[in-house]
Amino acid sequence: MATGSNRYATRADTAVLAACVVVSLVVLALPAGLKDPIAGALRRTVLYPVLAVQRRTARSAEERERLTAVRAERDSLALETTLLPELRGENARLRALLALGGRLGHGFVTGEVLHQTGVADGLTMVLSVGRRDGVEPYSPVLTARGLLGLVRTVDARTSIALAWTHPDFRASAVVEGTAVYGIVRSQPGGRSGELMELVGVPYREQLLPGTRVVTSGLGGVFPRGIPLGTVQGTLTEATGWERTYVLRPAVHPAEAGHVVVISPARAADTVAAVFGSGLPGPDSVLVVSDSTGVRLLPAPPAPRRRPRPRLDTFPPAAEPRQQEPPGPPPASARRPAP
Amino acid sequence: MRTPGAQVRVALVLSLLVVAHFALRPRLGDPRLTPDFVLVALLFLAIRVRPAWGAVVGLLVGIVSDAVSPSAFGAAALALTIVGYSAGWLKAVVFADNLLVNAFFVFTAAWARDAIQVLVARQLRGGALAWQLLALSPLAALTTAIAAVVTLVLFRGWLRQAEA
Repeated sequence: MATGSNRYATRADTAVLAACVVVSLVVLALPAGLKDPIAGALRRTVLYPVLAVQRRTARSAEERERLTAVRAERDSLALETTLLPELRGENARLRALLALGGRLGHGFVTGEVLHQTGVADGLTMVLSVGRRDGVEPYSPVLTARGLLGLVRTVDARTSIALAWTHPDFRASAVVEGTAVYGIVRSQPGGRSGELMELVGVPYREQLLPGTRVVTSGLGGVFPRGIPLGTVQGTLTEATGWERTYVLRPAVHPAEAGHVVVISPARAADTVAAVFGSGLPGPDSVLVVSDSTGVRLLPAPPAPRRRPRPRLDTFPPAAEPRQQEPPGPPPASARRPAP
Repeated sequence: MRTPGAQVRVALVLSLLVVAHFALRPRLGDPRLTPDFVLVALLFLAIRVRPAWGAVVGLLVGIVSDAVSPSAFGAAALALTIVGYSAGWLKAVVFADNLLVNAFFVFTAAWARDAIQVLVARQLRGGALAWQLLALSPLAALTTAIAAVVTLVLFRGWLRQAEA
């Protein structure tokens, strides 16, 4: 790697360095209103072919990894098919009893996270879907495990999402099954992408470790019921005022491959039933496409495991928003402060 | 004096590194620890040109890199400008045709790039900053150095001829 020249820098070199540093600092100091159009123009021109290559590579790698899972699913389905007529009849009866509508296969698109190098990856992410796919700014981004972030800027074929690890990210949260509300953010000063904080919890509410925290639906950005994380313990207490809890996040940006981008129009929906009572494993996402749209299915369950719910079971958009405080909290979720 | 053929071969190696960054790196696992092939290409170029050109190319590559992380737009540009210039300036020092020396050179450059970028971006602080600079960045710099060594081994003939 050595070169033939052994001359040190001349004054001209130093002047060019100073000019480049000044340009960098000017770019750094630009307001967001100017940075975003410049970045978008670069993504649409210079970076477009390389991001297309990366998108194709990511998709190909993902498909290869899922091949084994698909084979297992095929075998499992072949066995389950024998019970299909009976289950179908039972499902129809139950749905009629509950007055449920049909499944909605719309309102979201799936894409891939195009991970980049550098320290900023994990705080912001490049998604392989953009305006042409129906992505809009402020669309929630999630995986089968929980909330990943929020779309910040949208180009024609790509978009930039703000991960929950970003210092600017906030989400209104509620403790599952209770009326305990708070704000979730990344833990400032904590290890990047490792932990969340639930702030603003009333002092009288004491949460037990393991309690699940989901989006509250307040604010009109995130649908209600998307898992954010589980309580690990108390971080701080402002005596008589509020408590701050540390959460183990449901999903880490570095793990994210396939993501679901939900339309902001569905922010009023409730998706709690989609995620069920337990967080699915990291290998639980499988994307399929059909003529009616793109659907996200749980990966084929391992033998002797409980099947997971499907993500395409959103309630109809016209369904009234379920924002009323739920019933009395279960004793296992919280306990009164002493 | 470099011949046009040698320059074409170096350009080919640099192009391969850029392609590898987008076509190979996504297959290499955790994105926080994968090698930065574009940085390797920048360093290989910077040590073959004057420091001023290293700074200019670093600035351009940095601005393009910043386009995929617009919340810290300009941080990578500043970091790669300094790294590109320093690589060109250090070519008089890093003259040894030794793989370990070159690996250490790339490791230091990758770590310095991360350090400058994360400090300028001011998005991490406290434990997160320490975790990034003392754990994640050194590991990513290590994989980048390994990638540089592999490239040097694979294309040693082409790169050495370019030096003649």
